Amino acid sequence: MSASTTVGQRSAAMTPVLTLSRIAFWVAVALAFALLPLVFSQSFALSMLSQMGIAIIFALSYNMLLGQTGLLSFGHAVYFGLGAFFCAHALNFIGAGKIWFPVTLVPLIGGVAGLVFGLLFGFVTTRRAGTPFAMISLGIAEMVAASALMFTTFFGGEGGIATNRAVGKPFLGISYGPQIQVYYLIAGWCLVSMIAMFALTRTPLGRMANAVRDNPERAKFVGYNPTRVRWLMMALASFFAGIGGGLAAINYEIVTAETLGLVASGNVVLMAFIGGVGHFWGPIIGAVLVTLLQSALSNYTQAWLLYFGLFFLVIIMFSPGGIANLIALHKPVWSAGLSKRLIPSYAIATLAGLPLLAGFFALIEMIYHFEAKETSSKAFSYFGLMLDPMQARYWIGIAVVFAIGIALVYGAKSLVGRAWENLTVELQRKGAV
Amino acid sequence: MEFFLVTLLNSLSYGLLLFMLSSGLTLIFSMMGVLNFAHASFYMLGAYFAYQTGLYVGFWPALFIAPLIVGALGAATERFGLRTVHKFGHVAELLFTFGLAYVIEEVVHLIWGRAPVDYRIPAQLDFTLFTLYTTQYPAYRGFMMLVSVSMLLALYLVLTRTRIGLVIQASLTHPDMVESLGHNVPRVFMLVFAGGAALAGLAGVIGGNAFITEPGMATAVGSIVFVVVVFGGMGSLAGAFLASLIIGALQTFSVALDYSMLDVLAKMGMKIAPTSLWHGFWSITISQTAPVLPYLLMVLMLIVRPRGIMGTRES
Amino acid sequence: MATPALQLHEVRKSFGRTAIINGVNLSISPGERHAIIGPNGAGKSTLFNLISGRFGVSSGRIDLHGESIAGLEPEIINRKGLARSFQITNIFPRMSVYENVRCAVLWSQGYKYSFWHRVDALDAVRERSSEIVDRIGMTKRRDRLAGVLTYAEQRALEIGVTIAGGANVILLDEPTAGMSRSETDEAVELIRKVTEGRTLIMVEHDMSVVFNLADRISVLVYGEVIASGTPQEIRGNKAVQEAYLGTEQH
Repeated sequence: MSASTTVGQRSAAMTPVLTLSRIAFWVAVALAFALLPLVFSQSFALSMLSQMGIAIIFALSYNMLLGQTGLLSFGHAVYFGLGAFFCAHALNFIGAGKIWFPVTLVPLIGGVAGLVFGLLFGFVTTRRAGTPFAMISLGIAEMVAASALMFTTFFGGEGGIATNRAVGKPFLGISYGPQIQVYYLIAGWCLVSMIAMFALTRTPLGRMANAVRDNPERAKFVGYNPTRVRWLMMALASFFAGIGGGLAAINYEIVTAETLGLVASGNVVLMAFIGGVGHFWGPIIGAVLVTLLQSALSNYTQAWLLYFGLFFLVIIMFSPGGIANLIALHKPVWSAGLSKRLIPSYAIATLAGLPLLAGFFALIEMIYHFEAKETSSKAFSYFGLMLDPMQARYWIGIAVVFAIGIALVYGAKSLVGRAWENLTVELQRKGAV
Repeated sequence: MEFFLVTLLNSLSYGLLLFMLSSGLTLIFSMMGVLNFAHASFYMLGAYFAYQTGLYVGFWPALFIAPLIVGALGAATERFGLRTVHKFGHVAELLFTFGLAYVIEEVVHLIWGRAPVDYRIPAQLDFTLFTLYTTQYPAYRGFMMLVSVSMLLALYLVLTRTRIGLVIQASLTHPDMVESLGHNVPRVFMLVFAGGAALAGLAGVIGGNAFITEPGMATAVGSIVFVVVVFGGMGSLAGAFLASLIIGALQTFSVALDYSMLDVLAKMGMKIAPTSLWHGFWSITISQTAPVLPYLLMVLMLIVRPRGIMGTRES
Repeated sequence: MATPALQLHEVRKSFGRTAIINGVNLSISPGERHAIIGPNGAGKSTLFNLISGRFGVSSGRIDLHGESIAGLEPEIINRKGLARSFQITNIFPRMSVYENVRCAVLWSQGYKYSFWHRVDALDAVRERSSEIVDRIGMTKRRDRLAGVLTYAEQRALEIGVTIAGGANVILLDEPTAGMSRSETDEAVELIRKVTEGRTLIMVEHDMSVVFNLADRISVLVYGEVIASGTPQEIRGNKAVQEAYLGTEQH
């Protein structure tokens, strides 16, 4: 993880807990969170920003398991969802006057719920790692998802549990009715969670989680029980997931079995991986990007899930370190001031990529519209062009564009490769790599 | 008695189907260390391909064509997909198959839509095989069992009696050694993966029209197959066989039983008022808990005996 | 005699029906440097695995400072003051040299599974880790990722990780395997320095290292100790000569 190497590079001299640059960084983040709604003020943008905030907490909590401890979980949404359900019920109790609890702190209830179940289920699941752990986590997720439809009092059956976030006495005029207030609540919790999760990586448990990830056997021989380390990390990751779930309950005012279901669990795996699990900030990128794509893309095409899955496959096959890794690869180039060298080949690659992508997307869209049950014309608008899947010439045209794109990208690939080769040689000479 | 026998027969045919799927998964896992998330997707593709080709050439040719297509897809997946990702480690391989399952489901949506397709049992097999008490036992179920058993017998013979089978068995535990002996291990891997996929595809061909052919079938069956593999012990074919029958029986029986704790308590002379708080809990019938039972069993097994019934390897 | 640092009594280990260790008896005094030699396949690594808890014994006793440790988990044994290195380098490849050593320091400094201490602010941990890094001569390379070190550097780090926890019984499994003459000499000096005042048990094939470092030697053949004594005694022992060192005529 990059965070670990950054610390190692500091000198052996005293490193105070809070350096000026550290504080400045987090203040900047806080400011950015605070100012974002002023830039993106439309209601759909506010909703999306709120969604992103929740997704960031969820994805970061997931990476505590995967990136830091090496635990590939296919059931992390269980803790997110359970947190959401507990918070929904809590809100309903507050609304009915049965308990008093400030709405601002309700996500904490979700966190505690996540923690408890993380400890409970984690005790069983963390006894193994690797593939067995992945399977067990999947099994638990299935079990909980199936139970959700059984225990209708708590889970509300098919319809789920609806709730109202504008309950209790308004605090300083904040009732959490308007979305902007919910955004700031989410942003606040997101900031606190991010800081907490980052700080956790710098603790003995956090360091040993990395050790257990890389070499559990060696960890034993330096005095640590790998199962205990995994169990604790699972509990803490579930805590933060539960907080995210609580915020989701507040934001959407409804929680269903899908909130803790397998699709949600798969989603967070996608987010973390696309963003990059090897860096602390990778899942943040993934959460933002995936939320953006899910909201935006679904308006333009039916095939967005397919594109999504293909994107994920491409990342796994060609850059399993995710987007964060791609960015990090460029860091030595940037530091050495040699980024200009890459511009020509990158520009050509982008140009080459355009016909490839355009052709590919057009092909998929054509197939979707071909299969559509429309009785009238099946022609559709594609970036302004009208394409008709019922006429052969469009298919031929698209196939040609696609083929040209493939050929161009193939050529561009070797150009980029050569540019990097030359760059690496130069960087090695400078001693930068 | 009738209920018991009929349900037993049904659970047998279902269990054999599960074994067709879990055996391929176990072979692939044992040999390559990859847990193929997309295995159930091959099952689904088998059903869809059989449906589609059946529209043109009828059921019987489709029975042979569909698994072959799926097998070819499996080979391509191994050759172009898994092999690329192999160098990134087991987690990456697992995630690749996970993403693949996702994509396959979406492609199925793309081509065949989201609603179930009308994949039917062929007319020649649509009769009653025999009548047990009052229940008519369909011939197709018998056909399913026939195909499963013959396929698995063939698999057993190939593995134990042929040269390639011995190479496969050796590669299961010592791939490096086998390679040093001059065998083309990557090709063996591709063969095993393709074979597993074809087996799953065949299961789809015979299962898709007996049950249902829709895009969600992969996820539904896939989870159960995982339970079977974990329960039986990852890496053990015998364990997978036992587990398939047990889990198959569990699912088939539990879905058909409508008893709840209320009935049991009533037999003991205790009544619980419908207005009481716990009534909802006690009135849950076995059939309502049926979806959870396999997973519950798996979790219990993992607590009590983590390596499964007959497991040898961990990962 | 004071309580032996490590004592093995009729230790046996079988894998299935194959007996690897056939009744080993060993007694090692505190502060002693003890070498275990023997032909390949004699069971030396298995013996280490039994002592350090990686495998369980089939029967017999293993006592650390008089306390039975046979069958305990490796981490429990480690916390009681026994540490081991591995024949095939077994470190944390994605961490730096410094961080590797620090992982080995954390438990012994009492921080256990804490998630409320900032590891960078722990002075004692930092000082101890830096001290170990200096002692193994890796100060200049302290921020290098362990995975990219040279072989000899990795072996030095392996030793560093082993001793960092302050264990007083140290097991080194073929510490100089694969090293050149000069690297071996450096390694021997390092081992001598860092095991000063502690009990060292070493599996080695390099006889010069053995005769250089060891106070006593035990010879393991087919899972049994066929001789145990000072280097002089072992050199002169006929059975050892035949079984291992080779007789005059071939």
